[in-house]
Amino acid sequence: MTAPLVKVDAIVRSYRMRTGMFGRVADLRAVDGVSFDIRRGETLGLVGESGSGKSTTGRMVLGLEAPDSGSVAFEQAAMPAIGSAPWRSQRARMQMIFQDPLGALDRRWTIARQVREPLDIHAIGDDASRAVRVDELLHSVGLAHDQGLRYPHELSGGQRQRAVIARALATRPDFLVCDEPVSALDVSIQAQVINLLIDLQAELGLTMLFISHDLRVVRQISRRVAVMYLGRIVELGDADHLFAAPQHPYTRALVSASPAPGRRNAERIVLTGDPPNPAARPAGCAFHPRCSHAFARCRMESPKLVEIAPDRSVACHLLDAGTVPAAASEAAA
Amino acid sequence: MLRFFAVRIARAMLTIALVVTFAFVVLRLSGDPALIIMGPEAPPEVIAAFRKAWGLDDPIWMQYLDYFGAIARGELGRSMRDGRPAIALVAERIPATLVLTIPALLLKLGIGIPAGILAALHRGSVIDRAVMAAAVAGFTVPSFVLGLVLVLIFAVQLGWLPSGGQDSWRHAILPIITLGIGGAAVLARFTRSAMLEVLGQPYVRTASAKGVAWRAVVIRHALPNAAIPTVTIIGFMVGTLIAGAVVVESVFSWPGVGRLLVVAVANRDLAVVQCVLLLVAATMVASNLAVDFLYGFLDPRLRTGTQAGAH
Amino acid sequence: MADLSLPQQPAARRRLSLPKIPTAVVVAIAWIVAILVVALLADTIAPYSLTRMDLKNRLSMPGNATHWLGTDELGRDVLSRLLFSIRISLLIAFGATAISAVLGTLLGFLAAHFRGLIEQIVLMLADFQASMPFLILALAVLAFFGSSLQLLVCLMGLYGWERYARIARGLAISAAAQGYAGAIRQLGATPSRIYFRHILPNIASTLIVSMTLVFPEVILLESGLSFLGLGVQPPMTSLGNMVGYAREYLGRAPWIMLAPATTIVLTTLAVSIIGDWLRDKLDPTLK
Repeated sequence: MTAPLVKVDAIVRSYRMRTGMFGRVADLRAVDGVSFDIRRGETLGLVGESGSGKSTTGRMVLGLEAPDSGSVAFEQAAMPAIGSAPWRSQRARMQMIFQDPLGALDRRWTIARQVREPLDIHAIGDDASRAVRVDELLHSVGLAHDQGLRYPHELSGGQRQRAVIARALATRPDFLVCDEPVSALDVSIQAQVINLLIDLQAELGLTMLFISHDLRVVRQISRRVAVMYLGRIVELGDADHLFAAPQHPYTRALVSASPAPGRRNAERIVLTGDPPNPAARPAGCAFHPRCSHAFARCRMESPKLVEIAPDRSVACHLLDAGTVPAAASEAAA
Repeated sequence: MLRFFAVRIARAMLTIALVVTFAFVVLRLSGDPALIIMGPEAPPEVIAAFRKAWGLDDPIWMQYLDYFGAIARGELGRSMRDGRPAIALVAERIPATLVLTIPALLLKLGIGIPAGILAALHRGSVIDRAVMAAAVAGFTVPSFVLGLVLVLIFAVQLGWLPSGGQDSWRHAILPIITLGIGGAAVLARFTRSAMLEVLGQPYVRTASAKGVAWRAVVIRHALPNAAIPTVTIIGFMVGTLIAGAVVVESVFSWPGVGRLLVVAVANRDLAVVQCVLLLVAATMVASNLAVDFLYGFLDPRLRTGTQAGAH
Repeated sequence: MADLSLPQQPAARRRLSLPKIPTAVVVAIAWIVAILVVALLADTIAPYSLTRMDLKNRLSMPGNATHWLGTDELGRDVLSRLLFSIRISLLIAFGATAISAVLGTLLGFLAAHFRGLIEQIVLMLADFQASMPFLILALAVLAFFGSSLQLLVCLMGLYGWERYARIARGLAISAAAQGYAGAIRQLGATPSRIYFRHILPNIASTLIVSMTLVFPEVILLESGLSFLGLGVQPPMTSLGNMVGYAREYLGRAPWIMLAPATTIVLTTLAVSIIGDWLRDKLDPTLK
């Protein structure tokens, strides 16, 4: 098997937070030992709710933040120091698509000028060829030349996101991290942008890390999926198999909440307990307060991500103790 | 709460230390202090003796520490003009300055705040516009121009009031008015915007909608909240009780600290300049500290502490 | 059949309409333009040189043919001196405002970019500057260093830098948080590109509004110092200087004082009016 394009190994990231003006200092573990590979040309989906650490993971994978421990390797080489010249030139190989396209664009520059900026920064080509490339890029994301002459606030949300994508592709990167790229868009536009990303990936051979809390969107675009909860990966595997037969109780709840044809509403699993708070991490398995199958071991020991089948890993003690109880016996909504 | 005050006090000490450092740096940068203080015609032996006596040949950090020590002990040098200790010279002028600045402060508060409140309550009306026009005039006219114009009108043309010196209480009237008007204008403008901001808040509209009498709304809700930012600027004005009259004292030949400073600067009487500088710093810092403490009591948000934001 | 089609709008062009400017602002702008012209052309417009003494005509009243604004105690033409004073005062005010804006913005960017110790130092200096009355600090420096023109401009250039620094730092930090600065950084842009090609143009309007607030204060400060005899030194003359010299002759020749005093007031007023208007236009949230 060829080496993966991106290899993430046990990355950890904490932030120090002071609770209130006179409170104690708390250590907030946003990402707590995450590992995965992304193979060339594939899309890995990263799913989780807010507070799961998926955005922080995305930033570390792209090299925008340095992990406190663990490593990220791109093409088997470690990431250069953030802000250094090699780091800056490496940006041409990897880019991020943001959740808020309006925030990612400079209000005072025209779209065309912004799409062109990576070419200026990395000194690619000359004036004439840059202009040609800008048109090429606009065309490839479905924007007209005229729209390049506009300012970000004059375009719609979907068009802005296309502009961001065009800008990200200017230097022909190998790797894209998409952090909730369609969450801020209307549902009808979401499909367009997702399809655009899928087409571009096929055409350009892109490798992607696709971060989202929306399962429908993730399963459309990803070949493999990792599910995160409170900074850890709880389940990882092939997208279709994972969504068809989720093993981890959290994944089951997520999948049951996401509408899909053929599944009855009555099977919906509702989680009890508080939503995940990284500043108040439960002891043992982070999910155990909300898990209806929790037993003694869950309260004391954190489960490791274990490969239970080829290309399928789960982090749950239940899998050591036998199979997870069948879906039919779950408590109904 | 204790931590809040400790931080503020530490900051105050730091500011004073910075002022002392500033004085030291400026003193050193401006040339050889020996030459400056002794004069360029002094014979070389005198210069050498001076340098030795003041430790000017020591390494700079040692001089700095010595300087700091001297300041802390209150040794602020002697005036070049008459050899008296600078502190004494400055101290004996303070009452004269206060005679001007304290009544002026009362004038500023007495005119400025009500004018600002009135303007805010009648926003957009003739009253508002008149007050604002007066306020703008008040602070675009520099104090020396205002002072001279008042002298021109009341002393020269009308002959009602004297134009300079300190001989009688009548001499204080024009300076006090000059000082008061400028400050009143600033205060009026400030109070008005503080009030407007508070009046635009939802909780004021809610109180009004609940049927509370407008007057009560203003007195119980608007004023206390508008007071908070106003306290800062008043604190600044209190802090300038000593420093605020520099120009006006010169206009009216009033023998206060400000006039002393101007003369000392003109004569390069460095000990006196340094002394006034430190005195002003101490006053400002003390009043800022008082304002901070007052804030701690007035603003309940500060008392209980706010939540830390995200990283 | 009636033609029901909509009238054609010109494609991508919008009709440019001049924003409606209040009369007060127009007058203010006109005054400032006039002052600037005077400052630039003082040499050519002034009827006399600023030191030329007409001893037979001392303290003559304004309105006569040879000296429109009268003469001072040494027979010098008040109008000429006024014109030259305007030039010097404006020179100092512009120079100082520019210096403090550049200095403050740079320090603000440095604080925002490096955070940590550098930020603390900048904030501490800003606090220090804001907590001491500038006049006193200026007087101390003048006592030690004397009053040359270059020193004066540099000294005035330290007035108000902390306001720009706070603004630049705050807006740069929020630009990074908002995303566009971070987005462009991850394109591989160097920090200077981010700050000067992206952040600075975006915060320029706020900085310009600050400049219109600082500018009149610098004029007032410089004229105050000159009035005290500690600012601009003879043979150069500034507006404050003229008022200072006029003090002794207040009774006999009030016009010597009134001409420069009125100029100071009108100029300060004009810039304040323009500043207020700009602030309302550019950032209505900044009441």
